[in-house]
Amino acid sequence: MAVPVSQMYTVAKYVLTQQLKGVKRYPLVLMLEPLFRCNLACAGCGKIQYPDHVLDKHLTPEQCWAAADECGAPIVSIPGGEPLIHPGMAEIVRGLAERKKYIYVCTNAILLERKLDEYTPSKYLTFSIHMDGLRDEHDLAVCRDGVYDVALKAIREALKRGHRVTTNTTLFDDASPERVRKFFDEMMELGVEGMMISPGYSYQKAPDQKNFLKRNKTRELFAKILGNRKRGWRFNQSPLFLEFLMGRRDYQCTPWGNPTYNVFGWQKPCYLLQEGYANTFKELMDATEWDRYGTGRNEKCADCMVHCGYEASAVADTFGSWSGFGRTVKVTLSPNAR
Amino acid sequence: MFRPTTPAELAEAVELAFDYRGDVTLVLTSGEPIVGYLFNREAAGPKPLLQVFPESGGMREVAYTEVASIAFSGEDTASGNSWEAWVTKKESERKAEAQRAETDARARGHL
Repeated sequence: MAVPVSQMYTVAKYVLTQQLKGVKRYPLVLMLEPLFRCNLACAGCGKIQYPDHVLDKHLTPEQCWAAADECGAPIVSIPGGEPLIHPGMAEIVRGLAERKKYIYVCTNAILLERKLDEYTPSKYLTFSIHMDGLRDEHDLAVCRDGVYDVALKAIREALKRGHRVTTNTTLFDDASPERVRKFFDEMMELGVEGMMISPGYSYQKAPDQKNFLKRNKTRELFAKILGNRKRGWRFNQSPLFLEFLMGRRDYQCTPWGNPTYNVFGWQKPCYLLQEGYANTFKELMDATEWDRYGTGRNEKCADCMVHCGYEASAVADTFGSWSGFGRTVKVTLSPNAR
Repeated sequence: MFRPTTPAELAEAVELAFDYRGDVTLVLTSGEPIVGYLFNREAAGPKPLLQVFPESGGMREVAYTEVASIAFSGEDTASGNSWEAWVTKKESERKAEAQRAETDARARGHL
């Protein structure tokens, strides 16, 4: 089981409650970016291109907790920048866990082993380690040699101490399906709880604008990777989202599903596009013209199939009807059945 | 440096500054310069506003009508750093660049 039952129950209860209340738009995962500073400079990343004085800004723990309270999503994902650089990260995590939020600290793991003493293992806390493939692919993707081995060592130590550990992998158009499958084998052997995968998004501000996947190519690649899936592979994400990546299902984007809060405010409209900032979560939800976003509605969204827009759509499908729930059960039990 | 002469030109200049990944220098109609990162703007509504993180700290809100000129004075932090360039670089150059990034992170205590 890739996601603990308590977490599945919390998410299911939350989504069903929203649907019973007739709430049309509700957040599923808060993307909390407490800083943009990173200790890597990956070419595919569009998150860290700011002047130094902006990179030096941090959200305070109080700001982070207030954002989680205001948003109300049951899951808080903490990307960045590199969250473990933030001097108050352990305190932020403690406060979020007290609020019974399921927290994913998305880290490159360079500092993880050194910082582990600051964290108590908990069902609410998961270290989601950025791993873009096997050693050669990962070190190339993060533009630094040796990072894969550092991450592997940190993962082993975190697991030894009883932490929940997952991996998150962004795939670009040079990905080899065979190598990715081998990478999945290696991560499962390592003992991680589950893996998360997503195609890269061509950030307007990322240095690399040439290596991102187009929609058809994304489906082709993921069909090759996830077709004939090995029984031992566990994914820490919606099974219907994986079906979507393989081209077996189609969804419209749910841009409000993963609202983003950072040092600039609530990002409009989503984690990937930066069209401005709202001062409050309510303002974000009420003032954003949501119908302008998603595939077929906006050229910036044309090729996007990223989890932050489509995983919420898949989850809504699961809990939106008995047939959706049935589909989810079926692909969970028999991922290779058509 | 842009010295917009119409509200439309000003709105266009602010959009370009919002998209720019570097500091800009705003000179206000009062003559005051503000050097910083323009991270948000609200062009619609009766009183269009922009928001800046000045290099010197804090946050400033400035009405569009107060802006006399905009200059893209800081380095564009996203330019000249492509993946293609990274891949095609000689091993020695790649290592040197990685070393520079690593040294910078180490100096900040982030490694």
